[in-house]
Amino acid sequence: MSNIGSEDLNNKLNAWAEHIHAGVLPGESLALVGLIRHGDVLARRLAEKLQRAGVSVHCGALDISLYRDDWDLQANKMPLHSSYLPFSTDGLKVILIDDVIHTGRTVRAALNALFEYGRPASVELHCLVDRCGRQLPIQPDYTVYPTPMEREVSVHLQEIDGYDDIEY
Amino acid sequence: MKPRKDLLTIGSLSDEDIHTILDSAKAMKDIFTKSVKKVPALKGKSVLTLFYEPSTRTRSSFEVAAHRLSADVTTFTVGTSSVVKGESVHDTIDTLMSMKMDYIIVRHKNSGIPAVIARHCKAAVINAGDGAHAHPSQAFLDAFTIREKFGTVAGRRVVIIGDILHSRVARSTCCILQRLGAEVAYMGPGSLVPPREHCGVPVFRDWDEVFSWKPHVIYLLRVQNERIDTPFFPAADYHRAFGVTEERLKIIDDCDAAIMHPGPVNRGVEICDAAMDYRNCLVCNQVENGIAARMSILYHLTPQTQNHE
Amino acid sequence: MNKTYLTNVTLTDGSRRDVCLGGSASGCGDSPWPGIKLREPIRCTPAGEMSIPNGARHIDAAGKLLMPALFDLHAKVEIAGCSKRESVMRTGQAAQQGGVWGMLVMPTPGFCFDNSDKLDSFRDMVLHRSAAEMLPAGCISIGMQGEQQAPYNTLMARGVSILSDAGRMPHSLLMLHRAMKYAASTGYTFAMAGDVPELTRNTYMHPGTTSYRLGLHGTPACAEEIGLETIIRLAKDAGAKLHVQTVSTAGGVDIIRRAKAAGCSVTAEVALHHLLFTHEAVGDYDTTFKTLPPLRDRADCEALIAGVKDGTIDCIVSDHTPCIPFAKKQDFITAPQGMVMLDTMLPAIYTHLVKPGLLSWVDVVRACCVNPLHVIAPESMEDDEEGISRGVPLLLFDPTVCSSVTADTLPCGTLNSPFLGQELCGAVTLPI
Repeated sequence: MSNIGSEDLNNKLNAWAEHIHAGVLPGESLALVGLIRHGDVLARRLAEKLQRAGVSVHCGALDISLYRDDWDLQANKMPLHSSYLPFSTDGLKVILIDDVIHTGRTVRAALNALFEYGRPASVELHCLVDRCGRQLPIQPDYTVYPTPMEREVSVHLQEIDGYDDIEY
Repeated sequence: MKPRKDLLTIGSLSDEDIHTILDSAKAMKDIFTKSVKKVPALKGKSVLTLFYEPSTRTRSSFEVAAHRLSADVTTFTVGTSSVVKGESVHDTIDTLMSMKMDYIIVRHKNSGIPAVIARHCKAAVINAGDGAHAHPSQAFLDAFTIREKFGTVAGRRVVIIGDILHSRVARSTCCILQRLGAEVAYMGPGSLVPPREHCGVPVFRDWDEVFSWKPHVIYLLRVQNERIDTPFFPAADYHRAFGVTEERLKIIDDCDAAIMHPGPVNRGVEICDAAMDYRNCLVCNQVENGIAARMSILYHLTPQTQNHE
Repeated sequence: MNKTYLTNVTLTDGSRRDVCLGGSASGCGDSPWPGIKLREPIRCTPAGEMSIPNGARHIDAAGKLLMPALFDLHAKVEIAGCSKRESVMRTGQAAQQGGVWGMLVMPTPGFCFDNSDKLDSFRDMVLHRSAAEMLPAGCISIGMQGEQQAPYNTLMARGVSILSDAGRMPHSLLMLHRAMKYAASTGYTFAMAGDVPELTRNTYMHPGTTSYRLGLHGTPACAEEIGLETIIRLAKDAGAKLHVQTVSTAGGVDIIRRAKAAGCSVTAEVALHHLLFTHEAVGDYDTTFKTLPPLRDRADCEALIAGVKDGTIDCIVSDHTPCIPFAKKQDFITAPQGMVMLDTMLPAIYTHLVKPGLLSWVDVVRACCVNPLHVIAPESMEDDEEGISRGVPLLLFDPTVCSSVTADTLPCGTLNSPFLGQELCGAVTLPI
């Protein structure tokens, strides 16, 4: 059982932002698209760090509820959130940001949703925690906290839950 | 929200249900600004529109909403002439059941028909207006429109004007607005407004009383000439007595109140031409929001059809 | 005739008696119900004082009530989708279970009593199939169409004494006025309900909070009251006897009270359901509670009960109307009006009126046994031909037995009972 607090997380986010920065090729424009809810918060934090480092970056948020493949199985349907992508993704390098990757189905839905906003040059997937248990051939390009086997993970972020905390 | 098969009345919803559907309607409306105005949420689901009363507007609003959610829409045409007297709705329900529809959107001139259909089939039944009973999707779009305009519904004063007695819109919209914390009052011809002890809503006699109440929203109802057999009021007087005339529009403009109408509008009866171009006239917003609200309703209902037996 | 001895039985005046039923007619001088000609002679002694011969039939009736069986002035027999014989049989069984020994059968499309053939075949069916006595009410107009008067003399020759178009107001008051004038001399009673059809067209329930919530058009009380005034004045002018059917409003009770005070020859009835339920029972389009006239307000229920107590309302009737489950499963506007009441008549009266103290057993005997017989045939109590002249049977009522009403306990076979799924107290033994 690991417990990661605010400071620890912030250090990791700095490293994450540097990793993204390092990967940007000259002439490439970058967009961070976070998956609602939590992924979009991470994307905003990363974008801020990148902008402070002088990298110009678009930032957006996607609600993928309407693209899920398990609509029939959901017992309680949560209220939808508005996706916010105030830019065309045509020709951009898009990095999808999510807090936890598990089965890969969310990412599948996110890819479908994303492509309705244009034709990106490339798409990468970055995740905070990989809890394993994949059901689709989808792997993140970057993971902050990989876990060796499938396990429960909970992520709390200041902007939503009032405090930063990751338990896994 | 908890799984719910049908939407028949506002009264049957919990506060959480109402908020969930309204919140999601906002997200649905944002889809309209995308270049691809369609999402795959209801892909492969079948939606049937079953209108025993003609209504191009509500029906097409539901059809557009279903299309934008990628559902397949079938129109069940019920010509008024083909509804044989004595032939029961049950026979139609049997037909519908064998069509394996997931959603049935029904309008009927008899109050209570959608509930009868809902009881007897597994599809999610949405009441698109039954007699003078309920019109919940209209209520959602009205609440959504007011919330969009004023930021919140709570604390707003809304006066509904016209034929309250025959109006399912008045009943459902009043109900949802009260649930969301608004104050609602009625005004209209004496023969068309129920006594306060029946409806539980303050009833004003004339525009003077309305204006002194300082309403935020003036909600006009359509005068339904086609439904009324023996006249309820002298038709020639309606505009002067109960319509938004140009003089009244000035007062409305001064108080910065909004004007709403479920459509279609009778110009020169409920409302003068100038009022349709008034800056706070929300009639067109209502139409656009109608699609978003109906998408949200479709999305949040759970038909029992996928439980394979 | 064999005698039956009941010991320790309670009578409707509350006294405890030993009772001997049957035997020679000579001992019947002390009937506790002097207004009623009983079918069997009765002899009473204070409890514990009667000597019971060895081998005689003896029932220990402690805690049970002995009373005359009820006569219902307003029942419909026709069950849609059933043969006429079956309808008669089932209704007879239902009545017997509810403590009703006889009823006046309102004409319906299937039992349209407007000529002698129909009356004869009906009498035949009743004789062979029914457990309860059934007297037909003749039609006022042929086919109940409100146009041509039915052959009153022919009907009268077949024993008909009451004319009714089953609550339907004729289109033409002139036709009715002439019918009343014609029939007045023959001693007919007109059984009618107050109504102004123009005011009640396309209305489905009492106007109020429920009708507003459900979006159903309300049936104004004034329509019934104007109709009442109309028929009372017509009958007075024509010199005809009038029996007002199914009064449902407080205003209607007042009108009848005034008419009686003014010396009009008018009697009145109320349907049991109008004493028990209000429009709020409709709830969420419960078609069981769709009735004609509609269920009214609590204040109307109270005025009607007061009317029964003070004698303004002479009779309590069942207004028994079988509707098959399919018909009542339709939407509220399309579904037919009416509920079945005979099956549960006496237990319902006991559970909802006598037990809570709203009516006494004396009131019940007056409104359900004595007065109905006076309305139907004031003088036939003496004549000795057939039908009610055989006299009223007695029944034993055990108020301690409570049971819930289910589809299996409704002999009439339709399920439109307002008590379905509820518990009612009282079990009827008829005949003893």
